[in-house]
Amino acid sequence: MNAFFVLLRKELKSIRKEKTIVFAILIQLFIASFSSMMLAGMMSFYDPTTISDNSPINLKVGVVGHTSSPIVHFIERENSLTVVRFGDIDSAQDAFQSSKIDVVMSIPQANAGIVDMDLFLPESDTQSTIALMALNDPLKEAENYLRRMNGIEMNYTDIEGKSHTSYEFLYSIIIPLLMFFPALIAGSIVIDTISEELEHKTLDTLWAAPVSLHQIFSSKIFAAILTAFVQCVLWIILLQWNAFPVENFLNVLALSVIIAATLACIAALIGLYFKDRERAQFVYSIALLLTAGLSYLLDPSPFNLITRLAMGNQNVGILEVSFYLIPFTIIGMVFVLIAKKLTSAKA
Amino acid sequence: MSNILTISKREITRLRSRFKGRSRLFVIGIFAVAVMLSFVIYHQDPVISKSIYNIGVSSNGPAIVDERFNIVPLDPVSGLVELGNKEIDLYIHGDQVISRNDDRSRYAAGALNQYLEKQELIRISHEYDIDQAFPLRIEIHHLAKDSETEQKSTDNQPSLSEILEPADEPTDSSSPFLVVTPGPEPPIITAPISPQTEPPEPIPNAPTPEVAPSIIPTESLSDSAVRERLEDFKNDNGRPEFKAEFAADDEIIIPSLLKPPIPVSQVMLAFFYVVPIFFVSIFFTSSFMEEKTNRKLIILMSAPITPFQIIVGKILPYVVYSILAIIIITLILGGNVFLALAIFIPIMLFIFSIYLMVALLYRTFKDQTFFSMMAVWIVTAFLVAPAMFTGVNDLSYISPLTLAVLMYRGESFDLTQYLLSTIPMYLAFIVTMFVATRIFNEEYLMGFRPLYRKLSEAIYLVMDKAHLNLSVLSMSLFLIPIAFMVQSASLVLAYNLSTNLSTITTLGIIFVICIITEEIVKSVAIIVLLQNRIITSLTSVIKLSFMAGLGFLIGEKLLLFLALRVMSESIFTEALFSSGVFLIFPLLMHFVTTSIVCLITARFGLRFYPLAILAGSVVHTLYNLYIIREAIF
Repeated sequence: MNAFFVLLRKELKSIRKEKTIVFAILIQLFIASFSSMMLAGMMSFYDPTTISDNSPINLKVGVVGHTSSPIVHFIERENSLTVVRFGDIDSAQDAFQSSKIDVVMSIPQANAGIVDMDLFLPESDTQSTIALMALNDPLKEAENYLRRMNGIEMNYTDIEGKSHTSYEFLYSIIIPLLMFFPALIAGSIVIDTISEELEHKTLDTLWAAPVSLHQIFSSKIFAAILTAFVQCVLWIILLQWNAFPVENFLNVLALSVIIAATLACIAALIGLYFKDRERAQFVYSIALLLTAGLSYLLDPSPFNLITRLAMGNQNVGILEVSFYLIPFTIIGMVFVLIAKKLTSAKA
Repeated sequence: MSNILTISKREITRLRSRFKGRSRLFVIGIFAVAVMLSFVIYHQDPVISKSIYNIGVSSNGPAIVDERFNIVPLDPVSGLVELGNKEIDLYIHGDQVISRNDDRSRYAAGALNQYLEKQELIRISHEYDIDQAFPLRIEIHHLAKDSETEQKSTDNQPSLSEILEPADEPTDSSSPFLVVTPGPEPPIITAPISPQTEPPEPIPNAPTPEVAPSIIPTESLSDSAVRERLEDFKNDNGRPEFKAEFAADDEIIIPSLLKPPIPVSQVMLAFFYVVPIFFVSIFFTSSFMEEKTNRKLIILMSAPITPFQIIVGKILPYVVYSILAIIIITLILGGNVFLALAIFIPIMLFIFSIYLMVALLYRTFKDQTFFSMMAVWIVTAFLVAPAMFTGVNDLSYISPLTLAVLMYRGESFDLTQYLLSTIPMYLAFIVTMFVATRIFNEEYLMGFRPLYRKLSEAIYLVMDKAHLNLSVLSMSLFLIPIAFMVQSASLVLAYNLSTNLSTITTLGIIFVICIITEEIVKSVAIIVLLQNRIITSLTSVIKLSFMAGLGFLIGEKLLLFLALRVMSESIFTEALFSSGVFLIFPLLMHFVTTSIVCLITARFGLRFYPLAILAGSVVHTLYNLYIIREAIF
């Protein structure tokens, strides 16, 4: 056992020496920036009200025609929209051309309960997209109002909820990505360390020392798993600090470590089979795609499980996490059984 | 040329030999299974967010069929108890939705609201005539302003009154349908006149009546548009659509059926094109690293071939594979091959330049893995993040992926926008190739040194010591693409911080990162010369500082010229690119700040370089603040 710890320390030292952990954190920091920007972007697209949260909007809406239409009232109720009424379309056009207003609405009288109106937007993609998104909410309210006038009542319009898009995006995409990314790196590290030993023929030297082949490989796998564990812990702390709480963090950590261990064992098998880094890394990348696909057939899949755990869903817990010990145990046993055979086999 | 082709041929043979016999079968097999599985899963409508919300529903509640919701039938008493115990997130009793006063419950309510709204729209579309159910139709027209029409010489733009149909002519006479009281308060219905105010009783699950009893059976011009939008809306299975369309000219939109321009196409484009290029470049970098570590490269270098021929020869097969991948993907997606090549070749070259530098700088596989991983994320973030704002913010043009999104939307972009997106990438490749050929020697390739030493050595080897002025000027000029990308990436970072910080603080952070980057780019060549004792006198330092400032100014103004043609001038762009009215002031500023950095380092030693950068940055910041003083105060 002592030999195992000596080897583990050596592996960890080599990782630390190459400043790889620092780089891993840098990668993750960048993902954080990326995700936040995507969050803001998606929020703006899905929920027009968040446009004004991210950037102040003050849209001047020129209205001609039926200027006392209820549609105008719903627009007026929005803080970010200002209505300017015009007597005729030409003066509205003049105001638009001289940038006194941003958009022009021509609202006719309702005809048999239908309002067929025209909306003039600036040609610029930027301005027209923002204008349309900012106008969409009051226009939807106006639409519901017109429906009521037609005798149609929409149910459940008064549910008071928060914009769920960013919440779902964060917990079902970003957090699983962040928690499993260290696991992907763990697999890559295992391939690197194994192929380095095999290509530089240092494994033979190491084998001459009083250590078993399993101790050598398991120390490499353990070092990679420990690195993944440290990164996941850092991630949970960073997320917590950014007011994105990760519930059930012990279960979340346990699942991340089990996935990292499983991938590290798969990577070790691939590394030993191919014996050179080039092929091993390529096959490992494809194997990742395959594993991700296969895991999706499970219920709950690792992605879904980590999402629900991090969200605080009470229907999942340690039992579901423990289930993933089964594939890990199978792959781990396969590795123990055939590692020696693979090492001595020709590439 | 023949040397290059010989090396390329050798590279292909080497790659083939790697994947022969059992290996080839294994790889093809695993690859085929991975592709097939991905295809099957994609077509099964994957839901990552399965059962993330627990909803209790009473026996008279609505039927909810959405994978996100785990439905638990509960009577009102148990429902409220479980809601209080946080075992469920919401409880629905009849048409009443009860939530808790915490975030999780409110998010669940938001998700349920979106789901039920969709179900309600489908319900009313079945129960009522579309004239009643979708009474608000909006025809979109895009209108150029005077200044824009002058630029685009579209003299014959119709006036608004010409665009509007005669029927649309505004008349504010008494409404045949709604009479409302004008004013800031919400409208009060005083006297609905039309017989439609007494609608028929909705018949549950009934097919659409042929003629609604209260509606005059006239087919409105916009009815076909409503039917079309409704069909799209009903068929929307949540799977991302590749072509993210938004309201086009003369399109009729229905507010409740308007699909937001979900930026998923940007991410998918990156996935379709960039991931295969990354795969190919992994082979390139692995091959390079392997030949470097087993010293085969050194043997090649002893042959009568130039470093340039070796590098190009080795890179060429992978470039050809990548181009083939771009062509095939474009043909599958039905895009324009010529445009796709114009957009993705610079991206491909940029990725190869990063991988080439990684292979040249590092000697161990672990380092290479980490840097490659980091490169994947940085490049993907750099490409995808700005492209998320395609059509929303002109800043999106810093990413070539934006051009690809426009191409697939059938929208056009001009040459200036293309150049702004791609020039930094082309330049980065050219600079990398130049640097690679200069540092391609045994001592550099095989040496184990810390990263900063390797970088400073690379800068030293790149410079022509016989023409120091020109070297420093060029170095400062050609490092601008890298500075530009760091500055663009700083935007991403600042955006991340902006959720917690004020706009001024965010702008301040962008300022600081941009300024520090610029000061490093301008001074780094002189510092390396000082470190290697090529220059020792303070006069030389000052003279070279001027050249560095001049080089940076030339590049900066070229970039500014492009940027301002694409982006609207703002306080941000002005500060980012240090725009000055007269060239002399920015030149003076660059000269002074670079001199400060280099003189402090020359006088006190390399350990004080960070402090010197700080001093130069303070002066630079004061200058920028002076330039934008009117906008701030």
